[in-house]
Amino acid sequence: MIAISGVTKTFQRRGGGTHLAIDAIDLDIAEGEFVSILGPSGCGKSTLLYIVGGFVAPSGGSVSVSGRAVTGPGPDRGPVFQEFALFPWKTVLGNVAYGLREAGLSRRDADAKATALIATVGLKGYETFYPKELSGGMKQRVAIARTLAYGPAILLMDEPFGALDAHTRLRLQNELLQLWERDRKTVLFVTHAVEEAVFLSDRVVVMTRQPGRIKAVVDIDLPRPRRRDELLLNPRYQRLVIDLERMIEDPPEEMRA
Amino acid sequence: MSGALLRAGGTLKPGLPPVFACLGLLLVWQLYARTLSVGGIPDALSTVRELPTILGDRESLYDILDSLRRMAIGFAIALALSVPLGLLMGRSRLFAALVNPLLMVSYPVPKAALMPIIMLWLGVGDASKLLVIVLGVSLPIIYHAYQGARAVEEKMLWSASAMGMSGPARLARIVLPAALPEILVGCRTGIVLALITMITSEMIARQSGAGNILFSALDMAQYETVYAMILVISALGILLDVAFEYVRGALVGWSEPRHDLAPIPA
Amino acid sequence: MSALSRSEGLIGIVPILALLLLWQAAVSTGMAPPALLPSPLAVLARFAQNMADPAFLAHAGITLYRLFAGFLIALALGVPLGLLGATNRGVGAVLKPLVRVLAPVPKIALYPALILSLGFGDASKIVLVVADALFPILLATYQGAAMVEPKLVWSARAAGTSRGGTLFKVILPATLPSILTGSRIALVVACIVVFLAEMITSTDGLGYVLVRAVRNFQTVEMFVPLIAISVIGLALNGALALARRRLLAGFPDED
Ligand SMILES: Nc1ncnc2c1ncn2[C@@H]1O[C@H](COP(=O)(O)OP(=O)(O)OP(=O)(O)O)[C@@H](O)[C@H]1O
Ligand SMILES: [Mg+2]
Repeated sequence: MIAISGVTKTFQRRGGGTHLAIDAIDLDIAEGEFVSILGPSGCGKSTLLYIVGGFVAPSGGSVSVSGRAVTGPGPDRGPVFQEFALFPWKTVLGNVAYGLREAGLSRRDADAKATALIATVGLKGYETFYPKELSGGMKQRVAIARTLAYGPAILLMDEPFGALDAHTRLRLQNELLQLWERDRKTVLFVTHAVEEAVFLSDRVVVMTRQPGRIKAVVDIDLPRPRRRDELLLNPRYQRLVIDLERMIEDPPEEMRA
Repeated sequence: MSGALLRAGGTLKPGLPPVFACLGLLLVWQLYARTLSVGGIPDALSTVRELPTILGDRESLYDILDSLRRMAIGFAIALALSVPLGLLMGRSRLFAALVNPLLMVSYPVPKAALMPIIMLWLGVGDASKLLVIVLGVSLPIIYHAYQGARAVEEKMLWSASAMGMSGPARLARIVLPAALPEILVGCRTGIVLALITMITSEMIARQSGAGNILFSALDMAQYETVYAMILVISALGILLDVAFEYVRGALVGWSEPRHDLAPIPA
Repeated sequence: MSALSRSEGLIGIVPILALLLLWQAAVSTGMAPPALLPSPLAVLARFAQNMADPAFLAHAGITLYRLFAGFLIALALGVPLGLLGATNRGVGAVLKPLVRVLAPVPKIALYPALILSLGFGDASKIVLVVADALFPILLATYQGAAMVEPKLVWSARAAGTSRGGTLFKVILPATLPSILTGSRIALVVACIVVFLAEMITSTDGLGYVLVRAVRNFQTVEMFVPLIAISVIGLALNGALALARRRLLAGFPDED
């Protein structure tokens, strides 16, 4: 469904030089697949996701979605950012209804659909709240609902739970997994938390640092539906977590630099 | 679309483009005066030619320098009074609540308009003009020093008092440097204000100074002089701004560059 | 919070009252001759009396008209220019150096030129107000728009908003707090400038009332237009604060 071929990105440095952020990324993601990108900070995970989203143009290579080349953002690919990026001037309802209104729904239909979605992400009763009046976890639920509202076939999630406390993070992981197991969207999920990647994904793509390249692609052959408490006791899960952790640490890149 | 702006945004760096902008503005003026030839409006070229006459004239040059001297003194006095006041307001909620309404009431009053009243008491000489400049410049500096001091991290002060620093020492050695970028924003507004107050007060007192030359020429229908003085005063404003930007860069190079919002005249 | 700020607001009256008392004392004790400094009571009485005087109100109305006309034109020019300058490279490249040059020019110095080309009437005064109010609004809008979090724009683009549509649906609302901050400064500027312009040409308006009082040595009368412009400034500031609270309900608090 998503075909990334030979994507590179170089940034212009302030002084005049260039900085190769990601280099020759090839990756194919099938429909309904949950793929995580795992890598150390600064390896270019976000950059790759932004390129797939069409927010940032690649310096080389190409991305296509369902056979069509990506030239810009579109409602087939819904982003969820670590910083939530909610519209501060809109209420929860206004944020979630935004994409529906853009899709041409009447205010009434959009509001009705948005209200239902807000309930599914567990925020019933918060429709008239402004983002600043919500906790981080609630904000991210709103952001997810806003993106789900316009029905993108692909979700592009950039460390969506990175800014949340450990407890909220686990809860949202569970809820995301339930949502995904229900409607099996294609998900590209960026994280630097190994356990999160293993828990959620069908495949984990490990990236190297500077420039970001694909170091390995690991199949997560754990049965679904997954439950966290069962997985923690599962030797296969433990093995995958340990292997991936080693892969990220090893060889220590700080030392090579 | 706006990702690029973030990097480009904010500061307007001095350099060639502003010079081109000056030339462009003069060109537009030239074409406007030539094509429309509205009664009495001299074109840019003849106005620029008039400049040596004004700046070469001993008396008018002395007048202009006199204005600048008053402005510098007035500005210095305002700075010395306003910064401590603003910092104190920023660190004491009670003091801020006490002083703020008074400032709010006096902000929209044009300070130069007090000139006739002040002249009744202090005469038409330097004292009145200085006082008006001090009043005009103070408000933005107080306001920005207040905002800057208010934003200082509480924890920085805690660690300072843990080290045994006294109250006044904390104000001078922690709050002042931390609020400096914001104070400088106020200073830039203050400079423009000082210029405006200076010109207007001289227009009202009509005794000496750049404002006096400008408005006397207007009264006597010496339009070339009027336009040339406008150029001189504009250039003063721009040069002071450039000089200020230079000083600011040297003082607070560590802080984010930021173009001020507001030249507030008075 | 609100109870606290209300009592803090009350505290603020103390210095104003103290100043008035000091003023009154200076007059009562004869330290200041009434010809030079009228008593505050006399000034307030005259102010109240003038508030019922149609001629004075007409002058105040003219000042208000020029102030609003200039401010609204500045708003109508400054906001679109600021938005375009921040979002369009070409516009920005032309706009930035122009603003760099024009913003620090003391606009009041241009007033003689405005009088010569537009006459002594409303036009020259309104243009002067525009020239002075424009830059605070333009700069605030430009800075606000340049700082808009790109991910807000991306979120809207992904939801199907066109590139041009984001200008109105994302950048403008996200810039609103900055625009209002710029407007607050611009309003103070407009009050000050319109008054000075009226003093210079002195045909009508509150500035003229002051000059007339000066010419006739009516010291009590001199204070009245000053109080009037202060009241106008305060009222406009209050109205803007109200608009702020309504329009910016979702934004983080400021002040
Ligand atoms: N707009 C930009 N201009 C210049 N360099 C950039 C820009 N965006 C990213 N980079 C550089 O590209 C590299 C990859 O950045 P990116 O944000 O994609 O990393 P990341 O893997 O998402 O990191 P993190 O886990 O910390 O979010 C970094 O070295 C960064 O400095
Ligand atoms: Mg990232």
